[in-house]
Amino acid sequence: MSQIALFGNPNTGKTSLFNNLTGSYEYVGNWSGVTVEKKVGILRSRDAYVVDLPGVYSLHPLSRDEGVATDFLLTESFSTILNIVDASQLKRNLHLTIQLLEFGKPLVIALNMIDVAERRGMKIDVKKLADRFGVPVVPVVARIGKGMDELTEKLRSVEQTKPFTLTYDDVIETAIATISSYLPDDIERSKRWLALQCLEGNERVYEYLRAKIALEPILAIRKQTEESIRQLPHGRSLRERLHHFRETFIEAVLEDVVVWTEKRSLTWTEKIDAIVTNKYLGMPIFLFFMYVMFMLTFDWLGSPLADLLDQFFSGPLTDTLSRLLTAMGASGFLQELVLNGIVSGVGGVLVFVPQIFILFFFISLLEDSGYMARVAMVMDRLMEAIGLNGKSFIPMIIGFGCNVPGVMAARTIEQPRERLLTILLLPLMSCSARLPVYALFVGAFFKAHQAAVVFSLYVLGIVVALLLAKLFSSTILKNEHSMFVIELPPYRMPQALTLWRSTWDKGKGFVRKAGTFIFGGSVAIWLLSYAGPKGLHVSMDDSFLAAIGGVLAPILAPLGFGTWQAGAALLTGFLAKEVVVSTMNIIYHVKDTDTLQGLMAHYFTPLSAFSFMAFVLLYVPCLATVATIRKETGSTKWTLFAIGYALAIAYIISFLIYEGGKWLGLS
Amino acid sequence: MVLTDLQPGKRATITNISMMSDILKQRLIDMGVHEGEEVCVKCTMPFGGPVMVEVAGQCICLRRKEAACIGVE
Repeated sequence: MSQIALFGNPNTGKTSLFNNLTGSYEYVGNWSGVTVEKKVGILRSRDAYVVDLPGVYSLHPLSRDEGVATDFLLTESFSTILNIVDASQLKRNLHLTIQLLEFGKPLVIALNMIDVAERRGMKIDVKKLADRFGVPVVPVVARIGKGMDELTEKLRSVEQTKPFTLTYDDVIETAIATISSYLPDDIERSKRWLALQCLEGNERVYEYLRAKIALEPILAIRKQTEESIRQLPHGRSLRERLHHFRETFIEAVLEDVVVWTEKRSLTWTEKIDAIVTNKYLGMPIFLFFMYVMFMLTFDWLGSPLADLLDQFFSGPLTDTLSRLLTAMGASGFLQELVLNGIVSGVGGVLVFVPQIFILFFFISLLEDSGYMARVAMVMDRLMEAIGLNGKSFIPMIIGFGCNVPGVMAARTIEQPRERLLTILLLPLMSCSARLPVYALFVGAFFKAHQAAVVFSLYVLGIVVALLLAKLFSSTILKNEHSMFVIELPPYRMPQALTLWRSTWDKGKGFVRKAGTFIFGGSVAIWLLSYAGPKGLHVSMDDSFLAAIGGVLAPILAPLGFGTWQAGAALLTGFLAKEVVVSTMNIIYHVKDTDTLQGLMAHYFTPLSAFSFMAFVLLYVPCLATVATIRKETGSTKWTLFAIGYALAIAYIISFLIYEGGKWLGLS
Repeated sequence: MVLTDLQPGKRATITNISMMSDILKQRLIDMGVHEGEEVCVKCTMPFGGPVMVEVAGQCICLRRKEAACIGVE
């Protein structure tokens, strides 16, 4: 089946177009070497694949995800380019179009947001535009799927016409000719395009050519051309000169194609922005939105759903499975493995599915509506002070829900170092899975000040993250050039299909993980508590779990909780932090929380309990987060660092809390 | 004068972007911010925070020290 590649500027409605053009969603996969996902769908007519590429302003990439689009042109085989163009930003969008036309593949332009353009007083002559570029132009409204049939028809019938050529000045044309003559004849891409991209200084193209020929002559020509251009009266750089020629051409086309009817009035985007990015109101409004979002996710809507699911797992599901296993004549070992190991382990994670999906829904809503970029802008000043930028703030907020999507959300940060730093610090955001642990301990030891104690732990996490951000950004992760430029797209009413797909995209990994390694981990931990050096089905104190926990006990003693039970609970808490609670349930042989809290007074003091909670907050990220950090950073070294520094900081802080508290006479 | 000297709501024409770092310059050119384009400061964030500018009908947010590298008239 032929492949159609979808190119376009960011915020032009590319995802909406992709969703409406492709009925079924084929797959999401990783490009080699980069952690940016490519989405491939099948055209509704079922005879071609559509590849959704990251939004780019030009083919000369600045960030890793943008490089994917250029790499696609260089290395993949495809039949047609679909270029989505925002009609209301025609001038800027057509720069990419020209670069794509120079590439020389059959191309169809989908002219999107023609309604927005008309509201701005732009009347676009579509036929004339098509004539000037020599390619089909189809007006569409991607958000509601208008124009998809005609677009599909054009995509299937488009053929290579005569190649589009924009003539530059003599200096540049000579350089193009010289570079082209260096390129081998059997090269698969347009020589003129390759030469032009070399003149742009496109590193990806250099890399592509380096594998085939010696690059030095080409670089020398570029340098020489650059110098001749600089001596021209304008004194611009070569890249600016190329841009200038395209700009001049586009302006001439637009002169011919666009009729301006009236001066535009204040748009509603500007009206909303006047409030939400207000100098003084911006921050409070943002905090209010966050409050509503988290209350809905964790309290008003998410918790009741999670409770229902929890009841289902511990009630009907366990009963049914138990009866089924008995009817099948399964051994006692198998029954216990399934019911105590798998159901409680995997079920304990799946319980969070409703909350995760609600949270992701709101995040998708924020992304699709255009507010996310404003949040980054409102928070940039604070983040700059600690060596990050405004875009780092969004993943951190998400991290309060669950660290896993938080780590993934760091993808939007362009600078690799700032992105890495954001990922490394994310586990310090107190995620919802740590709340059950706090709930258990404050119920037992801090009955009078529950809320204050829990709140102090959240603050502890944030303060430690901010301090470490400052420390890391001024030592190991020095950022040579921190920059923050973000386009603030107009607000758009989010579409149901886009919202659902983007929520599902984010959430399905969580569900998949529960079925894979959390499943395996649960089995392993249960086995450890079931078996011991003396055989199977031993008493808990003789199990391997007790033996392993016992090794940790002396190390944990200076922190105030040097028992094998605490050691084992922390160890299993690596699986997921809430497992600390269930492990304690198993270890102390109790059925419900009240009994457990009474019993714990024998093993903990209020001081050591607080020290323990601080340790649970800060010590290693959970297994799912570690796996995500590994996937997103693509580096085992940094993953180990994330675990290592967290352990160290947890140990230091718990030690200070416990020993300091003792010194102050607390117990 | 530079972009940060411009009163919010007032319009000016970009005259010089050569003072910026290469990567930033390219990003801004790609976004349609270049010499000869009309620019308008929409708002500024407190405590030396970023500025929001409108260029060619679109809004872009950049840091104040970077905006200070854009010459306008």
